[in-house]
Amino acid sequence: MYAKKRDYGDLLVLMALAGFTLWYLMDAIRVSSAIQNLLLILPLSLLVLGIVLLEVVLRLKQGTLLTRPGDEAEPLHRTLPVVGLFAAYVISLETLGFDVATVLFIALFLLMKGERNWLLLIGFSLAFGFGTAFFFAYMLPYPMPMLLLEG
Amino acid sequence: MIDFAAVEQALSLLFTNFSPWMVVIPGIIIGLIFGATPGLQISMAMAIFLPMTLYMDFVQAMLFLTAIFTGGSFGSGIPAILMNIPGTSSAIATAFDGYPMARQGRHNEALGVALVSSVIGVLMGYLILFVMIQPLSMMVLRLGPSEMFVVILWGMTLIASLKGEQVLKGLIAGFVGLLVGTIGFNELGMARGTMGQTFLLDGVPVIPAMMGMFAASELFKLANKGYIVESEASRKVRIGEIFRGFRLALRYPKVMLRGGLLGVFVGAVPGVGSSVSNLLSYVETQRRDEDPSSFGKGNPKGVVASESANSTSEAGSMATLLALGIPGGGATAVMLAAFAMHNITGGPQFIREQTDVVYAIIFANFAQVFLLVIIGLLFIPLLANIVKVPMRYLIPSVLVLAVMGSFGLTGNMTGPATVLIFAVIGWLFRHYGYSVPAAVIGMLLGAMAEKSLLHSYQISGGNLAYVLERPVTLIIFALLLVSLFGQRLMNWFRRRRQPLDA
Repeated sequence: MYAKKRDYGDLLVLMALAGFTLWYLMDAIRVSSAIQNLLLILPLSLLVLGIVLLEVVLRLKQGTLLTRPGDEAEPLHRTLPVVGLFAAYVISLETLGFDVATVLFIALFLLMKGERNWLLLIGFSLAFGFGTAFFFAYMLPYPMPMLLLEG
Repeated sequence: MIDFAAVEQALSLLFTNFSPWMVVIPGIIIGLIFGATPGLQISMAMAIFLPMTLYMDFVQAMLFLTAIFTGGSFGSGIPAILMNIPGTSSAIATAFDGYPMARQGRHNEALGVALVSSVIGVLMGYLILFVMIQPLSMMVLRLGPSEMFVVILWGMTLIASLKGEQVLKGLIAGFVGLLVGTIGFNELGMARGTMGQTFLLDGVPVIPAMMGMFAASELFKLANKGYIVESEASRKVRIGEIFRGFRLALRYPKVMLRGGLLGVFVGAVPGVGSSVSNLLSYVETQRRDEDPSSFGKGNPKGVVASESANSTSEAGSMATLLALGIPGGGATAVMLAAFAMHNITGGPQFIREQTDVVYAIIFANFAQVFLLVIIGLLFIPLLANIVKVPMRYLIPSVLVLAVMGSFGLTGNMTGPATVLIFAVIGWLFRHYGYSVPAAVIGMLLGAMAEKSLLHSYQISGGNLAYVLERPVTLIIFALLLVSLFGQRLMNWFRRRRQPLDA
């Protein structure tokens, strides 16, 4: 048997879901307390909060409130750099444009994942990045933010 | 039962010009590639390519998406047979006997068996759908808003409780999804949960959200894998031997028929679909066989049972989507989004008023299977090697397509931002065992659930006793309770009986 590692993430996600539900319920009540507005939201929110409470109670009883379910799950921090890179890519789209941001995203991803064949790394990033950006810019009826290519 | 005038119109819709067919071949190829790549899902392919349907009419869009569906259901069997890795959960049972056949050097035969079983399965499923769709819509017409509401809740419960021990988390994901689906204007014209953002007035952009949750979050999970399969001897594909597999499959019509019938009915149940039907069909075939011990050791009947069931499930889930407007799983959830993009609401009214379109979708699927045979045969050698593509090239490429596609849908940065937010949510959901399909389907059905409940309230005048006059509502509600607590109750009774028996 393995000693289970502490993991607060699971509880945090559960609390975040409960927090969102509570906030949404309050916001809906603030907008209007008419039955037509709350007919689904009120009972459903209470149901969600009830299930969250039940989950917490059951896991407290089992002593698993602060452990990660399933030993096979890969630690979050191993995937975090990829998620961070993707977030940076999306956030930079408006400033760097879809063309340059995409080329950089692919190149950095390949580099991060161990690609050391520079010719392949640069060639694929340029070809795929500019190729898809050009294709979408050509296909879409509205302007796409671009730095080098025409939007 | 069959509207022949609509049949004629459907045929003219499909054959007056070639344009509806232009999208079928690319659709099948996309489905084959995504199905054959373990880790990539058919629903992921459909979500990523959904923005392209903006430029298609409704029939063309549906042909494109069902072609991806059809291609994917066969594609997922290829790595299951060649490498013992099912491309998707719908081909788990294919690997049970397909891989032992491959190890015996009979992989070409196994691929042939799988292809023919898939093709006949799709044909059978859509044939049943063709005959049943009108009577089904008549039945569904009798359902009022209260029945629709409990059907939505039941479907959600089934989908959410699929993950055995994590039922509560599944329910939380599904119900929070339903709440998110109600964000924006209500029936009174008041906006809730928008945080003052104008783009949320019409609700959360569901398709980019779906792309984030289905596609991007799954790709994050795969990011640390070098190759899909680290090491496996390559197997030569020989077309002649695949044809031998065709003949072999046709020797088991009973297995195929049983798999097909199971597939179509199980496929129609929300949340269950092809992931369960292939296993059920396999187990039933093994149980009824004269030599059950031969299964798992390379019995082609196992491949026939699995592939015929997972292919017919497509038609089953389409029946639920068309008749009720409720998606049974990820793939039909994307189709529902395509309905919305073309301002079409699924349901009995749609079937009655646009029977020709429904028939056109069904007929096109008959034709698609023949194209699947040709394209499948041409692409098997390529698909057999797809697992050798390094993940580091595959993942950023698909992520980029999702981001650009979402921009195409919204026309501004709302799309990519939504993909990002929901990718992170989906990633956390997957990591901590929350049901992603339940959350997505909840988001899709939130507004519909609220409308149904509101209409029930208006009809009943707020009197709860109204529900007692609706026997179908009560029956569906009872089914909901059974699917939630049935197994626990059975276990409880069993535990109570044991000491008495002892």
